[in-house]
Amino acid sequence: MKFLCVPCDSPMKMSQASPPERGSISVVSECPECFHTMAMLTNPMETQLVQSLGVKIGPAGAEEKAAGAEGSGCPFSGMAEEMSAGGDDSTAFVWTSAAEKRLGNIPSFVRAMARTGIEKYARENGFSQVDEQVLDQAKDFFGM
Amino acid sequence: MKSYFDITGDGGSDVLGQVARQRARIKENLSGVRHMVAIASGKGGVGKSTLTMQIALALRAGGSRITILDADLNGPSQARLGGLSHAPLVPGPAGLSVPASRAGIGILSMGTMIPESQSLEFDSVAEGDSHIWRSTREFAALADLLATVAWGDLDFLLIDLPPGAERTFQYAEFFGEGTAFVLVTLPSALARGVVSRSVSALRRAPNRILGYIENMSGYLCPGCGQVKPLFPTADDIDLGLTHLGSVPFDPQLAALSDAGEPMPADSPSEALAATRSIASRLIQELEKTS
Repeated sequence: MKFLCVPCDSPMKMSQASPPERGSISVVSECPECFHTMAMLTNPMETQLVQSLGVKIGPAGAEEKAAGAEGSGCPFSGMAEEMSAGGDDSTAFVWTSAAEKRLGNIPSFVRAMARTGIEKYARENGFSQVDEQVLDQAKDFFGM
Repeated sequence: MKSYFDITGDGGSDVLGQVARQRARIKENLSGVRHMVAIASGKGGVGKSTLTMQIALALRAGGSRITILDADLNGPSQARLGGLSHAPLVPGPAGLSVPASRAGIGILSMGTMIPESQSLEFDSVAEGDSHIWRSTREFAALADLLATVAWGDLDFLLIDLPPGAERTFQYAEFFGEGTAFVLVTLPSALARGVVSRSVSALRRAPNRILGYIENMSGYLCPGCGQVKPLFPTADDIDLGLTHLGSVPFDPQLAALSDAGEPMPADSPSEALAATRSIASRLIQELEKTS
């Protein structure tokens, strides 16, 4: 989808994408010629359709920032907390930053399941935190 | 006034670029896979999943490196078939690690992630009407898996597909023309009719169809010791494909499959012999393609 400033006949640039609120997102675009701004407001069904495509919506460069912070999978830049299947399982066990980084590199829709499974394995094997050693040991144990 | 095609880019998200980059990641991530083979039917309940596992076991016995991707996200079977219902997902240094069965077959299945008492749910901001977006979300999830799983070097990535004749074509488009197809049918007119529709749908795709397998072609009568038919045969429905082999129903195999155990290698089972023969035939057909 593209937006055109009709008076200037100039393509508009996306300047902001806000997190979903009651299923609606606000995407603001600006004309680089006259600086007129407009907002596209989605209904929950439209939001869900875009989310289902597995792409991120945001200003240019937001994808890289989001990927660096959250890993892959979240459809809207900077909105992973709202959109992921997560929850507050992270409080159950301490994960080192390296282990968290690995977790961030797997699809968001399986991240919570992976976290739960690894923590169960760590608990059963007497680990007090999840680090790369625990992940490697689990990987070997389950024949991967 | 400018039209859509006069404007370069989309002013922000670069959605088309995101799709292209993900496709490139998938291609790179699967670069160590020699053969991708989808096991399909169109018809449900014909034994696609069980046959997929049996073929994988036969190929593995021949020394091949195999992983099964259970593409049936909603009705996954491969975790149970491989005895991996309780293996956690482990994030490895190169991506999501693939759990392996005791027989050494990698299995990526939603069944290892979600208990059988639960269904797969995706977060949704829309209430109801999941029929509008669900299929799209499932393909996006599969693409995410293809791009982030550490597949490694494999001789075969077998893909166990869900039923649905038109869906079979969608998977052909999704996995790309490098993925070969094997179709599974029963001898009955009911099954062959649906599989025939799948063949028709698949003909629209450039993918190679290696042939078809007739499953449950008969059963071994414990009384007389002869193989007798389970279904009335419908040879008049010509699938127009190479017949890769027929596999008789074997109650022992069914029981072992439920338990996630492989058939003992020295079993005299005719089903085991048939799947070994089919695996060999499969390799021959694939070598022809290569």
